[in-house]
Formats: sequence, structure tokens, C-alpha cells
Amino acid sequence: MYRNKKAGTVGIIITIIILILIVIFSNGESNTAFFENAASNLVMPIQNGLTYLKNKISGNNTFFTDINNLQAENEELKQKNSELEQSLRELENIKTENETLKEYLNLTEKYGEYSTVPGYVINKDISNYSKTIVINLGSDDGVSENMTVIADQGLVGYVVSVTDTTAKVETIIDTASSVSCIMSSNDESIVCKGTMDDDSSLRAMYIPTDSNIAQGESIETSGLGGIYPKGIHVGTVERVTNTQNLTDRYAIVKTAVDFDKLNTVLVITNQ
Amino acid sequence: MKKLVINIFLILTIFIIYFLQSNFFTWFNIAGIMPNLFVVIVLFIGLFASKTMGTIYGIVIGLILDLLFGRSVGIQAVSLGLIGFLAGIFDKNFSKDSRMTIMLMVLSSTVIVEVLNYLFKYMFEGISVEVFNFVKILILEVIFNLLLTIILYPLIRKFGYDIENEYKGNKILTRYF
Repeated sequence: MYRNKKAGTVGIIITIIILILIVIFSNGESNTAFFENAASNLVMPIQNGLTYLKNKISGNNTFFTDINNLQAENEELKQKNSELEQSLRELENIKTENETLKEYLNLTEKYGEYSTVPGYVINKDISNYSKTIVINLGSDDGVSENMTVIADQGLVGYVVSVTDTTAKVETIIDTASSVSCIMSSNDESIVCKGTMDDDSSLRAMYIPTDSNIAQGESIETSGLGGIYPKGIHVGTVERVTNTQNLTDRYAIVKTAVDFDKLNTVLVITNQ
Repeated sequence: MKKLVINIFLILTIFIIYFLQSNFFTWFNIAGIMPNLFVVIVLFIGLFASKTMGTIYGIVIGLILDLLFGRSVGIQAVSLGLIGFLAGIFDKNFSKDSRMTIMLMVLSSTVIVEVLNYLFKYMFEGISVEVFNFVKILILEVIFNLLLTIILYPLIRKFGYDIENEYKGNKILTRYF
């Protein structure tokens, strides 16, 4: 009321600018790439033009003498090029076909024995501390509590509660979640718990003292605990942290599923 | 009649905040941390309308959030309801004319809500405690909330006094001293 109004507006504008800058710089490459692109778009045409001019001037003395030879060579190369392109296209077709066939084979091998219902993620938790998601499948689609939810890369979580048309899913990265897992190379059991740190890592606890756990090792569910069926891929070991005592060392497991971009999920309806 | 308009306006604001929280702030965030504008709106209602209204709005918003996302119903309801009640106490003891006091209120209520939520979750859902990570997230969230409060302060003051005139009428004395 009694305050200078202009100073207030300036303060607000400065705060907005600071907020936007903090958001941009705290989120790393994904956002700065836009500005880098804009800057390079601004400078690149001039840079290209200058480089072109320089090349033109320095190559000027041989420009007229070679012109006949070059024409013949050009024809020859063009023909060769079209032939090569043809074969390249054929190879690419074969390659993609091969990949899709392999994918089908893997998927049926992995999840063939389960019958699944596909669904979409329709909502994510708005709190910073828990990471539940809501999917568009409910009891009408045959989904009920404690069913396992997977994506095509690996384990997502399990159903906590259902309504007629939606279901609440607790993801494995939530801090309340812990999954009983085994290391695929030596079948030793560990427990993977969600952390608050970031959206793509789990903390593997209770590693047996006599076992070797190495970077890049594949982790899958053990089937113990009654919720998750056996043999679903969870992630890979990113690094092992040794503490003073061998019994409480832990490993950071990178999840196979990218929870930031998670869109489609599958619910396993028979276990 | 005017009270009805105010209530419709508040409910609309809550919906807008919900959509901001679930869409806009999922990409407009500081290192992945979202603000919590529900705390600000409940504090605002308790501060300018009345203690009872703040508590009721807090409990209703909290219940909706619990039903939508939570595993155990009542955690957010209790903590947000408490904020509505606290706002009434703040109103009696502090001036609302200064941006600084509003910011301090937002700071303290954000901290209270998140610490309470975390404690309840620890008790009922058995989450693993990570104090360092929790404090890190909390500090970022408080900073984000404070920046938003600075930006929204003129709006808060303008609509706040309209609502206060309607609800408290000639009972307002503190503002003129």
C-alpha cells in the first residue's frame, strides 16, 4: 500500500528471470541444447560462407586444367554410387527385418508364459517424495491388487489399489518398495530398494559377503516374496560401493525401464 | 452471494494448481524437484478467510490427493489441515502487509508439511529413511516455493484483502495500526 509500486514490479520481473534461469541450468543438457542450437544457427551460415570462399580461392589455379578429366570421372562415380545405394537399401531392409524377428523371438521367450493386458500411464504422482503412477486399467479389465506391472524393457512395479477403470501402481523406484532379486550369473539373492536420489536407480542391499558382484551384471526378480514372478529383468549393476564392513556394502542398480519416459505398460494377469 | 463466488473462485484455483502440478511443473522444475503450491493455497485461505475454512479446505484437498496418489488415506489430509489451522494462528500474530512475513510463513509451512508427510509415511508405509536426500529435496522445494511466492505476492495481496473484507468485515483491526 505504502510501498513504491515500481520497485515491486522490477523485483517480480527479476525473480521470474532468476527462476527461469535456475530451471534451465539445473536441468542440464536437455534444455541448454536448445540455446546451443539457436546460437549455432545464428553463426553457422556466415561460417559456412567464409569457409566456402576460402576453399574456392585457394583451389583456383587447378580449376580449369582438370575440368575434362573430372567430367569423365564424375560419370563413372555416379554410376558406381547408384549401384552401391541399391545394395545398401537391400541390406538395410534385411537388417530391420532381422531385428524385428529377433525382438519377437525374445519377447515370446521372456514373457510368453504370462498373459498380459496392455495399458497406458495416465497420471504420475505430484509429490517429490513418492513415485506412484496411475494406469488406465481397472477391475473391469481383470486387474486386481498385487498384480505385477511390466514394460517391454523390464519390471515397473505392482498394483496397490484398483477402481473400476484405473489402478494405482507402486513403482520399484519408490522409497517404500523393495524387490527380492537374484544376480543372473551366480543366482545369489539380493534386495533392491528404491532411493530418493534419482528416478533411474535402485540400491541393492544384503549382498552375500562371499559373492562377487561386478559392474554390468544383469539383475532379475527371484520370485520370492509372493508378488513378483520369477525371472523378470530389473536392471544392471552400475557400480558397487564398498564400505568398511563387508556386510553392509551395497550396489547401485540402474533400472532397465526409463521411468521418466514410461508410457505403455503391461499388467500380468495370471501368476 | 459473494461468499459463494469466492468459494467457486477458490475451487477453480485449486483445479488450476492441480493441473500445473501434474503437467507444467513436471518439466519446469529445478533439478527434477517440483514446488508444492497446495501448501501455499491452504495457507492463503487460512490466513485471509478464516481458521475453520483453512482447515476444511486443507483436509479436503489432502483427502483428494491421498485418494488419487497415496497408499494410506489421511496423511496429506492431516498435514494440510494442520497448515490451515496454523494459518489462523499466523494471522493473529503477524502482519500480512509485508512480503517478508508471507515468505517466512510459506517457508515454515512447507517444511512442516513435508516433514510431517515423511514421518507419517515412515510410520505407516515403512519407507527407508534417507535424511540427507530428504533434506536436499526439501531445500530445493522450499526455494522454489519462495520464488513463486515472490512472483505471486501482488495477486495474493489483492485477492486476499477482498476475501478478508468479505469474511471478517469490520472485525479487522490489526491492519490499521
